[in-house]
Amino acid sequence: MKYYARVDDQEFIIEIGHENEIMVNDELYKIDFQKMPDSGVTSLIIGNRSLEAVVEDKDGSWQVLIRGDLYDVEVEDERARRLASARGDLQVADGEIVMRSPMPGIVIAVSVRKGQTIHKGDKLIILESMKMENELRAPRDGTVTQVSVEPGVSVEKDQILVVISDEHSP
Amino acid sequence: MDMPELHTRRFSKVLIANRGEIAMRILRACHELGLSTVAVYSDADRNAPHVRFADEAYHIGPAAARESYLAIEKIIETAHRSGADAIHPGYGFLAENAEFARACYEAGIVFVGPSPRAIEVMGDKLTARSTVSKVGVPVVPGTEPGMSDQDMMAEAPNVGFPLLVKASAGGGGKGMRPVYAIEDLADAIASAKREALAAFGDDTVYLERMITESRHIEIQLLADSYGNAISLGERECSLQRRHQKLIEEAPSVFIDETLRKKMGEVAVAAAEAVGYVNAGTIEFLMDRSKNFYFLEMNTRLQVEHPVTELVTGVDIVQEQLRIARGRRLSLAQEDVTMKGWAIECRVNAEDPYNNYMPSTGMITTSQLPTGPGVRVDTGVFPGFHITPFYDPMISKLICYGNTRAEAVLRMRRALEEYRITGVKTNIPFHQRMMESHRFLSGSFDTEFVENRFSLTDREPPHVLEAAILATLAYHEQSQRAAQIVRAGSRETSQWKWYGRTK
Repeated sequence: MKYYARVDDQEFIIEIGHENEIMVNDELYKIDFQKMPDSGVTSLIIGNRSLEAVVEDKDGSWQVLIRGDLYDVEVEDERARRLASARGDLQVADGEIVMRSPMPGIVIAVSVRKGQTIHKGDKLIILESMKMENELRAPRDGTVTQVSVEPGVSVEKDQILVVISDEHSP
Repeated sequence: MDMPELHTRRFSKVLIANRGEIAMRILRACHELGLSTVAVYSDADRNAPHVRFADEAYHIGPAAARESYLAIEKIIETAHRSGADAIHPGYGFLAENAEFARACYEAGIVFVGPSPRAIEVMGDKLTARSTVSKVGVPVVPGTEPGMSDQDMMAEAPNVGFPLLVKASAGGGGKGMRPVYAIEDLADAIASAKREALAAFGDDTVYLERMITESRHIEIQLLADSYGNAISLGERECSLQRRHQKLIEEAPSVFIDETLRKKMGEVAVAAAEAVGYVNAGTIEFLMDRSKNFYFLEMNTRLQVEHPVTELVTGVDIVQEQLRIARGRRLSLAQEDVTMKGWAIECRVNAEDPYNNYMPSTGMITTSQLPTGPGVRVDTGVFPGFHITPFYDPMISKLICYGNTRAEAVLRMRRALEEYRITGVKTNIPFHQRMMESHRFLSGSFDTEFVENRFSLTDREPPHVLEAAILATLAYHEQSQRAAQIVRAGSRETSQWKWYGRTK
């Protein structure tokens, strides 16, 4: 099976072949990976180098934590790749970001309104939790299409707070 | 010697009015001294280590601190019921609550700490400042107590910018806001007051000049009820984020023996100004020229006490219990020596790759590092739920070495061994810090973490492996999905896949 993995601006073509062998950009590696039964930790032995990592699926892309460094990896198989190029390299995502509450808490302040244009890093919501005020900021530029909370409201973990759409979408 | 509203006499059973790692710490000292122990727990803590380790355990209420760990009447009543004749408050919760200390006194229970009056005077940052400055202790320029918001706004230019709005009843960085220009002052005062009211039930704030590029150096004190007070040396606590300490060390690279002695004497004078008894810490701000100013006194045991314990060889919690029992200090100032180096990293349930947002959830793995020179004080375990009811600290990882370099290398090793899953932790932050040139050279101040330190400032070395791991995970996920979809899939075909990954 052939896969395309992208980390920042580096791309890897990975072929998973017989047990314990993979090809990465035409180089052959001997690997062994084991998921530790009691934790989510994966032990990888590549060549004879040993590494441990925590691998998490995050909304379709993968987060890999190795020795304190966090890597964001996008993986596509051949089929997804073919479909993407057929669409002419458009953004696959619908350009919407849903800002959800990272934990239970109380909304202290809402700094944006529906229809407002915002920039990456702008303050959106102040949430009080764990006895401190936490500021949620915009992860990128866009337009606020929905504000689902107001000051004083109690929220659950993952509750929708604000929806931001790509400024390029209609 | 008779102390105002403080019992210092023999006791045999201690109630620990706290939870988590500090409750465990206190229990350990009590057990070593042959004292019986009583744990109290909320709904969230039934399976916590301190409950299982104590001799007796009493349920005191729901998870919300106000209805359990902060419920003075319930705690006093539990002490009576269990026959506990002493209470150790730990840190946070009721540790600096004069009303609680007084309630213990009136109930005939020994409070392991100072008198209610000392707590009151030092607990209010404004009265603390004026009390110690009267005995010649230098303080940071700021506003006087009793000012209205308008008066403070008017006085601000005299205090000088940049300044800090600080909560008088505050601590741990809560109710604090930096202000760089007068236009931002009103908002900052409002925001600080809100946070202070929520955290301490008191929204009194004051202004204090912000000394830039400062270090936060604190002195550990021990005082008995016979008028003896000693300094156990300094702790370097400048590595903070939003005024929450993250990494502490003893000693400090910035302090030499002469300065240590001088700061120790000033700290002792400050404590004597309130007739202080038991363990306490004086926090100082130090500027680049090594001038130091009294910031506040913490009238309790501190989170970071282990680094002092490791370099002085003194068991501070045991000393607290001895002092409370009416014993004299077991050492004199000239007996105090600092040997080697200790560093503490606070491991919090927060995501360093997402603006340090607190992370809640259930701990699935908690594999602690160990080996020579490694100490972990923790209150969590697999199956434990990190909730928003308490603060996000999971544990303290403390490493000791003969030199600072050895302590750092040991810390690097220990951080790599430490495995926690189920919640995000700030271990990556500590790992990066242990490699930071500025940290290694000791040239940092209180602004370093927020302004000049970055997690992502380097070429991450394992890009290839990350790509491989993500691909393998994706592959496994789609294989498993395909197997489930295949109709009439026999059990053996699924086990074949699991067999590969076992």
